[in-house]
Formats: sequence, structure tokens, C-alpha cells
Amino acid sequence: MAGTLPCPCVRLAQGDRGELASAESDKTLVRRRSAAYARGHGGVQAAGQLPKMTQGVDAAGTSGPVGVPATGRAEATRRHSGGTGATIIETSAATSTSTRALRLVGIAVAYYLGARLGLNLPLVGNDVTPLWPPTGIAVATLLVAGRSYWPAVAVAALAVNLPISATPLAAAVTAVGNTLAPVVAVTLLNRVGFRRQLDRQRDAMAIVFLGALGSMLISATIGSVTLVASGAISVQQLPTAMAVWWTGDAMGVLVVAPFLLCLPLFWEQPRWPTVQWVEGAAILMVATGVVTVASLTDLPILFLTLPVVGWAAWRLQLRGAAPAALIACLVATWSAATMSGPFEGMSLFAQMVTLQGFNASVALTSFFLAALVSERMAAAAALSDAAAELEARVEHRTAQLAAANTRLVQEIHERSAAQELLGHEEARAQREHQIAETLQRSLLPDRLPDVPGVALAARYVPATADLQLGGDWYDVVQLPDGLIGLAIGDVAGHGLQAAATMVQVRMALRAYALQDPSPPQVMLGVHGLVAQLPVPEMVTLLYLVFDPSTRRVRWTNAGHPPALVIGDGAGAFLTGGLSPPIGVTVDGGFTEQTRVLEQGATLLLYTDGLVERRGVSITEGLDRLRREAAAAPADADLESLCDLLLDTFLVEHHVEDDVAIIAMRPAASVDGELTLRLPAEARNLVQVRGALRRWLRENGVPETDVNEVLVAAGEACANVVQHAYSAQADAGDLDVEARLGDGGLEVLVRDHGQWRPAADRGGGWGLQLMEALMDGVDVEQTPGGTEVHLHRRVETGVSRE
Amino acid sequence: MSDLARIEARRTGPAHVVHVTGEVDLSNAQELTDAVARDVPDDVTLVVLDLTGTTYVDSATIATLFRLSSRLRERRQELRLVVPPDSPIRAVLELTHLSHVIPIDEQPYAVPSEPPEPPELPEPPAPRAPGGVDQSSG
Repeated sequence: MAGTLPCPCVRLAQGDRGELASAESDKTLVRRRSAAYARGHGGVQAAGQLPKMTQGVDAAGTSGPVGVPATGRAEATRRHSGGTGATIIETSAATSTSTRALRLVGIAVAYYLGARLGLNLPLVGNDVTPLWPPTGIAVATLLVAGRSYWPAVAVAALAVNLPISATPLAAAVTAVGNTLAPVVAVTLLNRVGFRRQLDRQRDAMAIVFLGALGSMLISATIGSVTLVASGAISVQQLPTAMAVWWTGDAMGVLVVAPFLLCLPLFWEQPRWPTVQWVEGAAILMVATGVVTVASLTDLPILFLTLPVVGWAAWRLQLRGAAPAALIACLVATWSAATMSGPFEGMSLFAQMVTLQGFNASVALTSFFLAALVSERMAAAAALSDAAAELEARVEHRTAQLAAANTRLVQEIHERSAAQELLGHEEARAQREHQIAETLQRSLLPDRLPDVPGVALAARYVPATADLQLGGDWYDVVQLPDGLIGLAIGDVAGHGLQAAATMVQVRMALRAYALQDPSPPQVMLGVHGLVAQLPVPEMVTLLYLVFDPSTRRVRWTNAGHPPALVIGDGAGAFLTGGLSPPIGVTVDGGFTEQTRVLEQGATLLLYTDGLVERRGVSITEGLDRLRREAAAAPADADLESLCDLLLDTFLVEHHVEDDVAIIAMRPAASVDGELTLRLPAEARNLVQVRGALRRWLRENGVPETDVNEVLVAAGEACANVVQHAYSAQADAGDLDVEARLGDGGLEVLVRDHGQWRPAADRGGGWGLQLMEALMDGVDVEQTPGGTEVHLHRRVETGVSRE
Repeated sequence: MSDLARIEARRTGPAHVVHVTGEVDLSNAQELTDAVARDVPDDVTLVVLDLTGTTYVDSATIATLFRLSSRLRERRQELRLVVPPDSPIRAVLELTHLSHVIPIDEQPYAVPSEPPEPPELPEPPAPRAPGGVDQSSG
């Protein structure tokens, strides 16, 4: 910086000024420029044109720099961005007409007063001025208020120069230069993005090199050339004059402009607390004191001012440094002008160099240091902000993680709850399965009842693929008059519901059959029950009634595969008696069909699982069943027959559907003899009587004889039941044999147990009745059991059918 | 087997009439007479067992009928039987001399036209029943 002051910096003041150019030039042009500038630089500059701006203008010289209320700025921004450029021009021009004039006057007055001050600080007589404040005033006010206020500068410059110039023309030309320099300075500063807060190094560099040293070459060149042209100085004096002019203007910018620019900061930036005001006042007082003392004493200690200015810059930045620098420069300049203190006895050149060096050092130190500290503080603030933001982000992220964790925990809970529910569901399904299985077992007893006169066998094979229980079922019911009911059916569906339906259908069928064994009647009853179920099911049902005494079978078939009759190496289906499945039609119309089974024939009932195969028609399946069943050995008992059929038709480990089978074969009378073997239980007495009754009737024994023989044989059997096996837990066998011969009827009742001594409950009557009703009663007791032989003469004139 | 026989009771005038249908033997006799005794109201003086629909009885049945009779007598209630002449159980009843203890009528019970007789004295086993139970078989 010091290097930029190569020559004696003398301000040529009075008498060197040119004429003043007309300030009242094209106002339209001014407005247009202003609007264009506002468009280019946003609300801050546009706000300078708001009416409110002018109210703070102080005519005393602080003039231009007036704070922009935040609301006003925002309003201007909004208005600007919302409308067209033309609208903004007219609006700002219209609203600021009166206040603008006021501000123009204010700026002009400030400029003029600054010039008078400058002229009062001459180094030599009234001619040499080392500090020219008006340029600083012009730069600062045009920076804050906008370049459109240049006419005020122009008018004031003309007013200043007119009395001290050789001719009005010279004054005007000089004024043009004095106006052009600040305008160019402001233009350049705006171009590089200068911030009047001066809080960055680049702002400090910009105002030093562009605002002060660069732009002021214009005014210095124009001014000094004008001096030469007007004949005020010689051509040889041109460099010197130019150098003096230049340094004076530059110092004016460096010293005054920062001070003026710092003033708005007092309300634009965070307000100072009282402590800082106290500190600021103290700094100013110390600075004033130090520079005053240094200026008055003979000792060359002006440099002591620098630490004070540095202190101000460090502590208070521009707001402390600029006033301190201004005061220091003014005092030093005044001291040089009065030739007092360190300047006493100095040559003019030494004075100039010393003063300008001091002023430059103070100015540069002040706002470079201030900018440096501002930058540091901004950086610290940015760091702090960044840290705060980081902390906020960490907190935010932590919160997010916590939320995610909470969600995860909740999800885990929900999942485990669902799992538990699933477990319950599974357990429920398993329970249902168990219940259904229990029901199924109760429906399908392992052992069929012993029914005298017929042989029975049954099988049930659940599906392997589907672990659910099927709806297949069968039943054998012993009916009054020795009739035997056979039922086989299939309830649609699986599981508990189907099993429950099966139970109800089975029970209903039993009840209806006992009431009236007629197949259509039984079907009608079951139909009525199924129709009333809460969930109506489709039930196929084949119901037959077999009369062993006549070997006649009557049946009704509700949608079930037909029963098969096997005999003499051939098979035939019991077709007819058909109706739709129960539960399908609203009212069941049931008919029955009858047929007499041949001696030794076998009746086979089954469910569709036996004959239905994927890809094989039902007709083919039925044909195959008929062939295979007919081909079975004629002497095979029913158990073997069932096993044979299952082996033939079912693939092991892969039963697609449940299979149920019942086989029934009327007991063949072997040579007219009856042979029975049953457990010796009270409930079987009726079976014995039934079988014996049938046999007697078949053999043509008269009814009166039948009744009495039944009583006698019944007593013998009852004795076996009561006494033969009382010493052991399980009932043994009761054998009954009967034959008709020439000598009459022989009935043998045999047991394999040990009799207790007689004289039990009513025991006396048993033997009494036997003896009364029969012609002969013999009781043989052996270690292996007891035999009772009953003999009676009967008429057997009627031969067996 | 409870399927073997059914009982049906109803109040007829001063009597409690029970119809027994089916066969009665060792397997259900006790159960059946227990059921009859249980259902007899306290305010009747006569219990009639109508065995018209009964097709079979055995000695165990006879024994339980004796016991039923004595139980009712303790309650000062009379037991009578109805058995048609052609009933298949007639022979057993006669051979066991049941009628010596329990009166047996051939006709179904009907409400007497005149007021009922005052309660009769407890009846010791009569030496001979007045009815025409006189058929024997060789």
C-alpha cells in the first residue's frame, strides 16, 4: 500500500477546479439506470429507493447510510419479484419522488461539508490537502443509496470547485471527474460482489484497490489534466499534481468510507450490549488520547496508535475500527496541518510521506484486521452452526434409530403374538382332529356286534393324503323281529363338522329304524334331520334291512354306490330304490327295492373310496370290483374277503379317499342244525332267542312249541350268563346247538365255566320252568363246563323253504 | 338292552297304568321294574302293569315282579297285571304261580263306574287265584 504513494501527496485545492457540468441532465436516464440496477442486485439496493429510507437522513453529513428495516426490504423484494421491471420502475420512482429529493439534498450537503472540512486541513497554506473526505462520502452514500444519486455528488462537487477553479468550465470538468470516480468505484465494487459490512478479506482488498486506489485515478487524472489545460499548472507539474490528487482522494475513501459504512451496522447487525458500548467508548477515548498525545509531543510515537486501532478491530471489528481510524487520521492530519507535534520542523515532503504513511497504515490495519476477525468469527460461527447441525442430525438420527428400534420391538411382539395365535390355531385344529377322531371311532367300532344268523365283517381305512377324517361311516342295527339293519354312508366334507353330522345321522338312523324298519321311512326321517341341521350337509346313504328268516333284503339308496351281491362265482349290483343324496332335494321321495339273497350269498356294502380312481371312470371301477369280488375263493370267510378287496384296490401308503366296507353273509344252516357261539352276556340272550326262533320257524316248528322252547332254552342260557363265569372277570362263551331228529327237538346249551352252588336269585324257577316246558332236561357238570340238554317232542310236518 | 322293551305310563283314574312292550329277560328286567317303581306317584293306590304287548318273560322277570309287588305293598299300593289269554308269556306266569301273589286280569284296566272301594287290607299270599289260570303243558 505504501508503495502506491510514490510522490508528494499534495491536494491542490483552491483555484484548481474546473467548471461544473450541468447536474440537471436526463432524469429519465437516471431512473432507468436505477431500476436496472435494482433488477440486477436484488432487494438491498432497491430498498434504498423506499420512501422510508429518507426519513433517517441527517443533513449534517452522516447522510446516505440509512438502515433498511427488515420489513421494508422484504416488501421491496416481494414487490420486485412479483411484478415486471416496468412496474417497479414507476412504483419506486413515484413513491420516492419527494424523499428522493430530500436525500439528494442531504448527500449534496454532506459532500459539500466534507469538502469544506478537507479544505480546512491544508498542509501548505490553503492549497495542499492531504485528506479529501468528500470522495469517501460519495463512495459510501452511493454504495448504500445507489448510483442514481450521483447528481447530488455532481452538484456538490461543482459547488465546491466553482469558487476555486480558474474558469467555470474547468470547475465543471473537475466536477465531472469527481462524480465519475465514485460512480465507477461503486460500479466496480458492486461488480465484484463487495459487501459494505467489510467482513471479508476480499471486501477489504476490493475497497483498497478498486474503490480507493483504482477508481480515484479517474478523478486525479481528469482534475490534474484540467489544471494543466486551464493553465493553472505547467505540464511538468502534472505528475506531482496527479499524485497528490490521487492520494488525497484515495485517503478520503480509505478513511471516511469505512466509517460511514460501519454506521448502518449498528442497527443492521446484532445490537451491542452495554458492555460493548462501554468498550467501544473506551477504545475511542484511548485512541483519541493516544493519537492526541502522539500528535502533540515531539517524539515520533504516532505508531502507538496502531495497537489501539488493532485492539478496536479485534474486539469490535469494523464498528470499532472505522471510528478509531477516522479519529486517528483526522487528529494526525490536523496535527500535520498545524505543524505541531512530530510534524514540527519537518519538510513538506516528509510531512506528506509521514502523514500519508500513517493514514494508510491506520486505515489498512483497521479494516484488514477487522475483516480478518470478522471472517474468523464467521468461520467460528459456521463451525459452531455446523457442530450444532451435526449434533441436531445426530440427535435426529438417534431419534430415528430409537423409533426404528421401537418399531422393531413392536414388530417382534406382534410377530410372536401372531406365532402364539398360530399355535393356538394349530392346537385348536389338533383338538378338533382328536375330537373328530374320537367321534369317528365311536361311529366305527372295531368289533361288530355278534348277530346270530349272519356273519359280519367291516373295515375302515382313512385317507393317507389327507390327515383329516373323512365322512365315511357304517352301522349295523339289530331290529325287532330279528331284522338286521345295515347302513353305509358318506357325509360331504371332512373334520369335526362332518364327524358331528355323521354322529347325528347315525343316531337318527338307529332311532328311526327301531321305530319302523321300512327303508323309505328311515330315509325320510334322516332326511328330515339333515334338513334341520344348522349347516345342511350332503349325505349319501344306503340303507338295507335284512330278514334272516326269509333272506329277503329291502333297501333304499340315496346317491350311494350300489351294494354288491356275490354268490356262485358271480356278482350283481343291487340297483334300484334310488334317490338323490339326502340334503340335496327339499323333500325326499324315497322308494324301496327288494330281493331275496341266494343261500350262501354275500352282501357287500362300500364307499366310493374303494372304486374311485383318478383317470378311471366309475363304471370301470364298479366292473372291476364285481370281477375281483366274484373271483374271491368261495370258502373264504368275510374277514379274508375284506382284506383281499383292500389289498386289491388300495395302494399301500397312498389312500386317496376314505374307504369303508361292510360284508354280510347269512349263516348257512348246516344239515338243518343250528350252532351259535356268543359271549355269555345278558344282552346276548335276545340274540340267542332270535336265532333259535328263526331256526325253529324255518324248520316248521309250530308257534306254540316255539314259544315254550324259547323260554326253556332262554332259562338255560340265563343260568350260564348268571352262574357259569361269575368266578372270572370276562364272560366266557355260550354255545347253543339245536337239531331236529326223529326223536324230536334237541337243544344243547353249553358253557366252559364253574358253577357256583345254586339257590341264587330266582334260580329255583329256572330249572323248574325248563322241566315244566320240556320233555326232558339233563344237566351234565364236568370240570370243563356244564351242558344242559333239553329234549322235546315236536311236530315238524312243514319242511324248510 | 333297553331297545328290547319299552314302557309307557299314564294316569287312568285312580290307577297308574304302565304298558310294557317287547321282551323282558335277565338283561333288562331289573332296570324295567326299577323304572316302573320310580315313576309311580304317591297318591295312587293301584298300579297296573299291562303286559299285553310283552312277548317274552323269563324267571328273572318273574322274580323282579315279585319284588316290585312287595315294594309297592310297603307303600300301600296294589300291583295288578293285565295278560290276555293268548299271550305267549301266559305259560311262564302260570308255571311260576305268579298269580298267587299278583292279581292277573285278562282285560285292560278300566276306571270303575262306582267310587273305588276303601283301601283293602294288606293281602297275604292267597292260596289260590280266582282267575281261570288253568292250563298246563306236558
